Amino acid sequence: MKKFTGDIVIGLEIHCETDTKTKLFCSCQKAKKDDLPNSRCCPICLGHPGSKPVLNKKAVEFALKLCLALNCEISPELIFSRKSYFYPDMSKNYQISQYEIPLGKGGSLKLRNGKEIGIIRVHMEEDPASLIHPAGLKESQYVLVDYNRSGNPLVEIVTEPDLASPEEARDFMKQLITVLNYLEIFDINAGIIKADANISIKESEYTRIEIKNITGFKEIERALVYEVNRQKDEIKHGKMIHAETRAWDSEKGITFSLRKKETEEDYGYIIDTDLTIVDITDKWIKEIKKEMPELAQDKVKKFVQKHKIKKEDAEILAAEKELAEMFEKVAAEINPILAAKWLRRELVRVLNYNKKELHEVEIDEKHIIDLLKLVENKRITDNVASKILEKLIEKPFDIKEYVKKEKLEAVSDISELEKYCKEAIKENPKAIEDYKKGEKKALNFIVGSVMKKTKGKATPREVNEIVLRMIKD
Amino acid sequence: MESINDFIKNVKNDEIDIVEHTYKLIEECKEINKEYNYFNTISEELALSQAKEIKKQLKNNDKNIKNKKLLGVAISVKDNICVKDVETTAGSKILQGYKPLFDAHVMQKVKEEGGIIIGKTSQDEFGFGGFSVNVGVGFKVPKNPFDEERSCGGSSGGAAGLSQKLSNHIALGESTGGSIVEPASFCGVFGLCPTYGRVSRYGLIDFANSLDKIGSIGKNIEDVALLMDVISGYDKNDSTSLNVKAENYESYVKKPIKGMKIGIIKEAFGSGVEREIEKNVYNGIEDLEEEGAKAEEISLELPIKYGIATYYMIATSEASTNLAKFCGMRYGAVEKLEGSFNEYFTRVRSSNFGDEAKRRIILGTFARMTGYREAFYLKAMKVRTLMINEYKKAFRKFDALVSPTASILPPKFEDIEKLTPLQHYMIDVMTVSPNVAGLPHLNVPVGFEKNLPIGMLLIADHLQEGKLIQLGSAIEKGK
Repeated sequence: MKKFTGDIVIGLEIHCETDTKTKLFCSCQKAKKDDLPNSRCCPICLGHPGSKPVLNKKAVEFALKLCLALNCEISPELIFSRKSYFYPDMSKNYQISQYEIPLGKGGSLKLRNGKEIGIIRVHMEEDPASLIHPAGLKESQYVLVDYNRSGNPLVEIVTEPDLASPEEARDFMKQLITVLNYLEIFDINAGIIKADANISIKESEYTRIEIKNITGFKEIERALVYEVNRQKDEIKHGKMIHAETRAWDSEKGITFSLRKKETEEDYGYIIDTDLTIVDITDKWIKEIKKEMPELAQDKVKKFVQKHKIKKEDAEILAAEKELAEMFEKVAAEINPILAAKWLRRELVRVLNYNKKELHEVEIDEKHIIDLLKLVENKRITDNVASKILEKLIEKPFDIKEYVKKEKLEAVSDISELEKYCKEAIKENPKAIEDYKKGEKKALNFIVGSVMKKTKGKATPREVNEIVLRMIKD
Repeated sequence: MESINDFIKNVKNDEIDIVEHTYKLIEECKEINKEYNYFNTISEELALSQAKEIKKQLKNNDKNIKNKKLLGVAISVKDNICVKDVETTAGSKILQGYKPLFDAHVMQKVKEEGGIIIGKTSQDEFGFGGFSVNVGVGFKVPKNPFDEERSCGGSSGGAAGLSQKLSNHIALGESTGGSIVEPASFCGVFGLCPTYGRVSRYGLIDFANSLDKIGSIGKNIEDVALLMDVISGYDKNDSTSLNVKAENYESYVKKPIKGMKIGIIKEAFGSGVEREIEKNVYNGIEDLEEEGAKAEEISLELPIKYGIATYYMIATSEASTNLAKFCGMRYGAVEKLEGSFNEYFTRVRSSNFGDEAKRRIILGTFARMTGYREAFYLKAMKVRTLMINEYKKAFRKFDALVSPTASILPPKFEDIEKLTPLQHYMIDVMTVSPNVAGLPHLNVPVGFEKNLPIGMLLIADHLQEGKLIQLGSAIEKGK
């Protein structure tokens, strides 16, 4: 075992559902959100006697893509094993998983701060059914079983205990989701991504606590922050930390003990001989490599070299697949530096303000191109453009028509601008006096007054120049 | 006696009223069952509706009807093979009342070819035994057709006994470690267990997935070949099904055997084998030689020495995971809903599994545990590979290998009771090894002693079922 030295040591086991049409070992369509419970199942995913699994090749290809993206060494053979344990969500009381030889091992993934996190293994397995506790996880007297999920394809990603804080754990999840997104093997809207976290702190001499079933990357940080504080608190009050498995209650924002961990569980793995060993040939991997899309790091390189934008901007744009793709489309029509500035600053700002992700809003690159063309040609000011963007996020509309209708075109007619400036100077003699006395800030007041008169349709720099010229005259 | 092919001709030519025939046959089955317990379920309703459908199609001069290979032939089905809407228990109380939602692949094939399903035959619970005495809680033990105080062998006991008793009938059996040839030997009929993967296992209730094979049992070699013709072939629903072209097994019946080479397994004769059995098997070998085959001794050490240990290690490991699904949820036996899930399923399994099923679950679970996996389960997998290699080497020289099918005559039930579990397991010594190696093998009846049948075991290389049929029919001809 590694000798730990850090304050906090975290390793993650992440389960991610891959976005295939059908389940891993039968031809059942995967259930959609509104499907009735137990309406997407067959004798195979219900584990009926005599039924046999047949492997979904697409699911293997998706898992291989992930292994390649995470720089894993890929096993030449795909072997499935039975992981035996009794649980009511298990249709066969064993789960078809992988054991001795995972599909991929020894990979890595980089965090935003540049730190590389080791990946021990990536393997494939089937999802169990979902259990519904009608009166809450701890309180329910009975559970209901929904087999719609039973047999869905999962990839499990196991990291080295390289993560040093809840923030790093969150960022790892975020980076992983970015990779999954780029690979188009994960449905961000409907797919499930869950993590079990192993966490230990220096104060407890690194006694390992496992927290099960944390859903999503925001939750992982919350759960781990809670757990670190809980452990420190226990120790402060003179209590011992014992190895145990805990669950995360997202609603209450707490973890609670499920069971003490005295020994490792014994799952009695054997090879599942209902499935044959699948050869992962070099030829197959080559074909998959050909299909591999550009990943975030490829995009960053391309953006810097081709579009000459700053690396920092490129990294922010590439971190999200949708944003990166939008940038590429916009940069084909608009000056890339202007496009980068608007997408990474204004668009991200407006999205954050509305607590939305790009894939959740309706606007597409055409709206952005329309908007930025007006900016590029100085037909509208930055100020006006920002306000339009805020409105666009709520619901898209025809920008040109809107600008015309609302008379938002920038005042570019010099004589008209001069008229507003003259008025402003006339109305604020005190400010002019102050300026002449050397109070440079007084000029801003005049400019602001002109901007007000034009309803923001003038560019401050231009107004500034005109006012200065007029004062000198 | 008329052959099954003559019978089919008569059905096609409307010389037999198939509905009336089936009705009488079902009545006969009921009579036989009262005495011998060969059925867990007689599927009277299904059989008669199939017969009526055939009659209708014949009347309408349906074009396809005349091409059906099994038209009107009664087919019995070992109870671990799923038949849609017909109670399928694998001989276990834990599945009592269970009616599958789908037909096993072999059942689809049999139905397509006009075979009439007459019922589900009795067996050791989940196939766990060699005498059909390890039946599930509340099930009846089938009896030997030649002596009711003796065993008809197992685990496809009902299938073999019925094949001896009922004419114009072929049985679907299943073998994991010898469960087709051994009961066939005890009941004096032919039993063919094909190459692993030759027949789809889809719809077969698993005992040990890497060993289970569905095969056929019949009074005549041509019956066995006919049913094999129907059920063999690739099935996309079974990942282990072999994607190789189907063969016309019937064409091997009565095909001359001149020049074929037979290897007599040296270790399978001598100590531990009853004298009369040896004598009769050697008579069978002489029959083959008279027909022009050449026989010669060969030593095969591994299969006889390590077969039993290897087999029980792999079979129980796999079985213990296969039986986990039976927990009183979704289907099969239920108990009062009380206590936690663990308490509930423990109660269901305690009261609905028989002793041998429990023994094998315990053995298999033990062999899979951390620390023992490497010593037992994984070691057994390696020995299996070595055994296959040794057989393969022999088949470079021989077309088939021969031994007795069983080392004893069908034993009396009172003597079986005295056996320890290990002695019980040792009965399979001749048959487990070809099963472990996935090789096709055939029981050929070669004679009687004390009015009890004796069988010879023929083993061929993978996918060489045809050679077995060829040799089997040469001995049949010699009778």
